Amino acid sequence: MRSRLFLILLAALVIGGALPLQAADFPTKEVQIVVPWAAGGATDLIFRAVAATTSKYLGKAVVVVNRPGGGGCIGYTEVANAAPDGYTLVSAITPLTILPHQVKTAFTCKSFDPIINISSDPSMFLTRTDAPWKDLKDFVDFAKTNPNMITVGNSGAGGGVHLVALAFQKAAGVNFNHIPFPGGGPSVTALLGGHINAVSVSPPEGIPQVRAGKLKIVALFADKRFEMFPDVPTVKEQGIGFAMGMWRGLVAPKGTPPEVLKKLHDAFKKGMEDPAFKKSAADMAVNINYLGPADFGKLMVSDDEFYGQLVKEVKR
Amino acid sequence: MKRRDLIGGGVVFLFGAVTAVLSAQMPIGTFRAAGSGLFPLCLGILLMALSGAYMVQVFWSEKRPNEDGTSAAKEEGLSLPVIAFLTIMAVATLFLHTLGYAVVSFLLMAGLLRVLGLKRWPLNVALSLVTAAASHTLFVYVLKIPLPRGFLGI
Amino acid sequence: MLESLQHLATGFGVALSFQNFFYCLVGVVVGTLVGVLPGLGPIAGIALLIPATFGLNATSAIIMLAGIYYGAMYGGSTTSILLNVPGETASVITCIDGYQMAQKGRAGKALAICAVGSFIAGTLGIFGLVFLAPPLAEAALAFGPAEYFSLMVFGFVVLSNVTGGSFLKSLMMAVVGLIIGTIGLDPVTGDGRFAFDSPSLLAGIEFVAVAIGLFGIGEVLVNVAQPAQTLEQKVIVPRFRELYPTLYDLKESIFAILRGAGIGFGVGLVPGPAPVIATYASYMVERKVSRHPEEFGKGAIKGVAGPESANNAACQSAFIPLFAIGIPFAPPTAILLGALLIHGVTPGPMMISEHPELFWGVIASMYIGNFILLLLNLPFVPVFANILRIPKKILLPLVTLFCLTGMYTVNNSTFDIWMMILFGALGFLLRRWAYEGAPLLLALVLGPKLEVAFRQSLMISHGNFEVFITRPISLAFLTATLLFLLVPLLQAFRKRLRSATATA
Repeated sequence: MRSRLFLILLAALVIGGALPLQAADFPTKEVQIVVPWAAGGATDLIFRAVAATTSKYLGKAVVVVNRPGGGGCIGYTEVANAAPDGYTLVSAITPLTILPHQVKTAFTCKSFDPIINISSDPSMFLTRTDAPWKDLKDFVDFAKTNPNMITVGNSGAGGGVHLVALAFQKAAGVNFNHIPFPGGGPSVTALLGGHINAVSVSPPEGIPQVRAGKLKIVALFADKRFEMFPDVPTVKEQGIGFAMGMWRGLVAPKGTPPEVLKKLHDAFKKGMEDPAFKKSAADMAVNINYLGPADFGKLMVSDDEFYGQLVKEVKR
Repeated sequence: MKRRDLIGGGVVFLFGAVTAVLSAQMPIGTFRAAGSGLFPLCLGILLMALSGAYMVQVFWSEKRPNEDGTSAAKEEGLSLPVIAFLTIMAVATLFLHTLGYAVVSFLLMAGLLRVLGLKRWPLNVALSLVTAAASHTLFVYVLKIPLPRGFLGI
Repeated sequence: MLESLQHLATGFGVALSFQNFFYCLVGVVVGTLVGVLPGLGPIAGIALLIPATFGLNATSAIIMLAGIYYGAMYGGSTTSILLNVPGETASVITCIDGYQMAQKGRAGKALAICAVGSFIAGTLGIFGLVFLAPPLAEAALAFGPAEYFSLMVFGFVVLSNVTGGSFLKSLMMAVVGLIIGTIGLDPVTGDGRFAFDSPSLLAGIEFVAVAIGLFGIGEVLVNVAQPAQTLEQKVIVPRFRELYPTLYDLKESIFAILRGAGIGFGVGLVPGPAPVIATYASYMVERKVSRHPEEFGKGAIKGVAGPESANNAACQSAFIPLFAIGIPFAPPTAILLGALLIHGVTPGPMMISEHPELFWGVIASMYIGNFILLLLNLPFVPVFANILRIPKKILLPLVTLFCLTGMYTVNNSTFDIWMMILFGALGFLLRRWAYEGAPLLLALVLGPKLEVAFRQSLMISHGNFEVFITRPISLAFLTATLLFLLVPLLQAFRKRLRSATATA
């Protein structure tokens, strides 16, 4: 009888003691970044690299957890419903603003508080170096005279690069034949084998092959030229006013305390500026582009409206 | 034996029928521009045909239908231990996030051991504790794989 | 050729350095551990250890990570044989005869022949990788959507009755598998199918959940349903003499191993879960060429030796597309690609010339790794075999916990666990109704790819069905499928004709 009472008191002490400890000083345990895609993908790698460098600035381990599925829905839904205590974050990339317009989701970009943006990468079209089109003009002219003939692969129907391709064809006034593939890898492989004419990708997909000279960038959808390939002109320079890319940043569930957000932001900013991360990013041809929470939030909202519009037009 | 096989075939037939009905509600399209529903619809119909053929085969055969070499298990059916097992697993999964892995694995072990006949509680609890602690250590500390922590923080 | 040998020699120099040898050892040990634990696969293992490699140079990092990949293939067969739980998705076929061997007290032989077969196949695979990589890579590129479709059709038809028995029932299971494979996002249009607004269903049913559920939990439940007395019995304790394969066993298995290695190496070049398909193909071949096909399913050692070797060889040839073209064909190699990129190495046609010490160093370390694995696994055979001595009362709950935990680690998803439980119940029912689970799993793997390839081909050809016949590779596979279906029918017809004329 007495021993049971003692056990209950002990349990109460332990539980009671643990609770206030949590709120006191952030972070008291490891921080998890949920990546809503499979391990090994571009997003996964970038966030693993930044997690590795940020750990020492934050003082606690930063761990990447993959929650793939539903084009990102699963991971985003989970974190939108997670406790807003700063220990569960999610990697926010452009599809976050696209998904809610395509399927019924339990979240929108407004279900999260922005922390920081890490990278912004342009999208591009690649073709084989032995393709009959020497440059963008040839490509677009051919598409004009042969509507729906040029096959353009993408990494998934309704996915980011597919929408980029659709938006580009609208801006250029042509029609492509879009072929979906289960990922960036298979789409680039199909191009290499000559089974499709072109592919719509975002770095680091396709970069190794361009470096090796097997593929070339026929259209670069960016505002300025690619650092790694300074001879490639952007589509804007050649007369078509179009640029679209993919941003990758970090967000937390809505309602996370501002001091926690600030601590996370400062730690990740230092992690981004760490030379080890800079080297990893350069090797992956990823373009580091820091944006603070306010700017990042604005970017997400404006993209949300933009894609809402685009998806509606495309879904005619 | 025959009845059991007919029921089995019937269940498969039902599965095919449900698939066909549900896929018919999705856009079908044509073979050239297939909608989402075309493939599952064909599969559902195919399954109904196959299971239908199987049930006919069972019905008309004189010998025991299992002479084809596949052996049906001879044990009891959906007995109480099996249901108990499944229930305990289900409950464990339900509470995985609230109670945390360590607690749930302990409870799971204790429950399953009891179902299988380990009536001596001290041995049961001891085994379950050791197993839960060992697997927790292995996964969380050695392999550094995050497992759910319940409200107790473990 | 001579140049390659010279390079290989340099590679050994790199691989045998104290540092790299150590990392190779770490990699293969972690790989084995990760392979043994069900659910947890090389993908998780590699992903987890990537941060640990940040401080290392590229060569050491890749040596370690690659070790995890092929190490997992060694470990995966252990639980398949002992507990009917596939430790690795590719170890499903090993469950069939391996578990039966264990039930008959021959667990040690099964485990040992796996290690030996994997070693031989892995080593042969490395030679293939070294000498055949560039031409094979080019050949792999020639496969476009139409070719993949025909290949999948061929594989599906040939392999759906992999375990023998009633063709009709196997086909039914296969179609069920195909239907389950459609749950989720339509790969072409992006619409949800059978998702009922649940984001978890939208992701599709995880293959590992079905594999562990059908085979592992299913077997557990079958055991649970048995009357109480049988639960008290221990499994037949393996005698010391029975622990290792005899010379006779080795002689029996060597051709299965060689055939498996060949099949695995070839199939490993196909994108997707090639090791799984390789094991099915090897099992089928072994069953067809065997003089005692009735042994299969009851503990035929060839049914274990062949598929395990195929498994390992496929794992080695999976590196070919990665190193030669720079494109990963399967998830584990995709992560390796990521690791390479992080370390500043861009795989692809340039990699071999830009980083020769990396390429040849990794190749040499693979050979060393396979050797280490053989030395590691063989002595542990008795240890593992004795796990079966644990009374079932305690073993069954342990296995259940094991499966549950491993399942969760794949996607950190409780939904997957639910699926595993569901398929566990289904596996139990399938056993009662005498259906096989293997065709279902195969269909789950091939189905989505088959559908995608079909629709992609038609999209590219603008709806023209001729594309499947005008392309030579595609035509070849479709013809082979037709022959496979027709020849047995013709033979049966001819037999009936002959017996009719004989009795007339």
